[in-house]
Amino acid sequence: MRLPKHFLTYFTLLFLTAFVLFPFSIAVSQSFMTNAEVNRWPPKLFPSEPTLEAFNRVLTQPDMRLDLWLRNSLIAATGYTLAVLVLCSPAAFAFARLRFPGNNVLFGLLLITIMIPPQITLIPNYLLMKDLKWLDTFYALIFPGAANVFGVFLLRQFFQSIPSELEEAAIIDGASYFQRFWNVILPLSSNALVALGIFVFLGHYNDLFWPFIVTNTLSTRTLPVGLAILNSSYAGQFRPTILAGAVLSSIPILVVYIIFQRRIIRGVMLTSGLGGR
Amino acid sequence: MSQMTKVIESNASHGISLRMRESLAAYVFLAPFLTFFSIFVVRSVVVAVRMSFYEWHILRPARPFIGLQNYVELLNDDVWWISLQNTVIFTLMTVVGITLVGLLAAVSVTKPVRGQGFFRVILYMPTLLSVGAVGLIWVWLLNSQFGVINYLLSFINLGPYNWLGEPELVLPSLSLTTIWWGFGFPMLIFIAGLQSIPEQLYEVARIDGANEWQIFFSITLPLLRPTILFVTVTGMISHFQIYGQPFIMTAGGPGRYSYTVIFYLYQVAWTSFRMGYGAAVAVVTALIVASLTAMQFIFARGRVEF
Repeated sequence: MRLPKHFLTYFTLLFLTAFVLFPFSIAVSQSFMTNAEVNRWPPKLFPSEPTLEAFNRVLTQPDMRLDLWLRNSLIAATGYTLAVLVLCSPAAFAFARLRFPGNNVLFGLLLITIMIPPQITLIPNYLLMKDLKWLDTFYALIFPGAANVFGVFLLRQFFQSIPSELEEAAIIDGASYFQRFWNVILPLSSNALVALGIFVFLGHYNDLFWPFIVTNTLSTRTLPVGLAILNSSYAGQFRPTILAGAVLSSIPILVVYIIFQRRIIRGVMLTSGLGGR
Repeated sequence: MSQMTKVIESNASHGISLRMRESLAAYVFLAPFLTFFSIFVVRSVVVAVRMSFYEWHILRPARPFIGLQNYVELLNDDVWWISLQNTVIFTLMTVVGITLVGLLAAVSVTKPVRGQGFFRVILYMPTLLSVGAVGLIWVWLLNSQFGVINYLLSFINLGPYNWLGEPELVLPSLSLTTIWWGFGFPMLIFIAGLQSIPEQLYEVARIDGANEWQIFFSITLPLLRPTILFVTVTGMISHFQIYGQPFIMTAGGPGRYSYTVIFYLYQVAWTSFRMGYGAAVAVVTALIVASLTAMQFIFARGRVEF
């Protein structure tokens, strides 16, 4: 007997899909259960009487306000993404398109600093936030990581690939340096800007360590921090609530992903430095 | 052309040469970035290194210089060595796992089958979740009393296992969680690598009568070597920095069997408030990660030449 064509491929794909979807589906299903139903052996895969109790609690309990965490996450990640783009794109423009003494040396030095892992800056930056009274403010979530060398590197490479004739036309028209940057280079680089934006947004949205140490109230706590606290203070008691938190917090990012999946995947490829442009 | 010369002349007539104007503009464009970079990166690295030579407790005003004592203490600190060992074991297991699963997934979704795009979208999904969500989902799946994984295993008469409570099981469990979460990135890189292999090579092999397995092991795999190298080295860099999974799922336990270096850094600096010693931990960790990154740069050069 001969197996149908691509049998093994389909088998592998279905297996991997099950591996990926199973944990998430269980979480979704159990978040509609009551606490008693979750703490039962053998575990139930589907709720006998689906209830929204858990979702209600995770959105309204005074110390676990998923809606506020989500709002904070969005503010912080958006602010951070804008800050990275605003700082990195002019710097990349200077490195890519302008001649000035020290261009290559300065860029080389910056490139070397990519090798410095961020952990080494955690303690000094934390103490700086404390001295500036920036703890528990959005400044602490937005500014310390905004000078992103990788962003400069990526944009510089992209800016360099833009044909110089386009800029020369602007020079003949008497455009200033800023106009060349703003009216010529930036509009032609939307792909790279979006890719970098997605990359830094997701990185920041999912970050845990830094937000955990610089936030301590509902007014700035981000989603990952909230979820970590949720787990440590309510494990055992409110399991469906914790699962509801995990599920709800994932929905915005998954919706955005499903809508923009092509762009996101292309962005990941581009930012990984391996083609995809 | 004549217009161009006119522009240059008019600039020159302003007294400042075009060259100087351009340099000045460049520094203005660079200034915001360099300001932030100096404050939050350059300054912080210098301060961290300096702090590591001091006894620097957040609650004590006296902060005496103690030379290399923090580093000597680190060398003799059992918890540090346990954390390092756990981190290395976890990193190796995870990198092998994400590379194998990522490669398997990439090979499968690049085959000309129906629903290719759908599978690609689904398989990348976990990578987008936050470590918070991933940790909460898996900590319950792995629960020893009511977890669904033990339930599934009970059908083949295995278990129940205390996945996160047994010293030998906790790192493999965290690793499994992380493989689920993280294989999407290697998958994308492998897809790009697979697509860059010229189709003719496969055609020639097929004409020569090679079967799919022979083609995979004698063409695909050797040509993917640079990609595999890239995936494993970047994987080591990112997974060596593991922190969220033990933080959320095990709190470092049982005992200290899931302490990792960044987890330990958190403990030292933000639980014991020993900032000087924490700085020493951070400096040593940074050196380890930096040497992995240096490896990547060396390999990356090889990749481009390839």
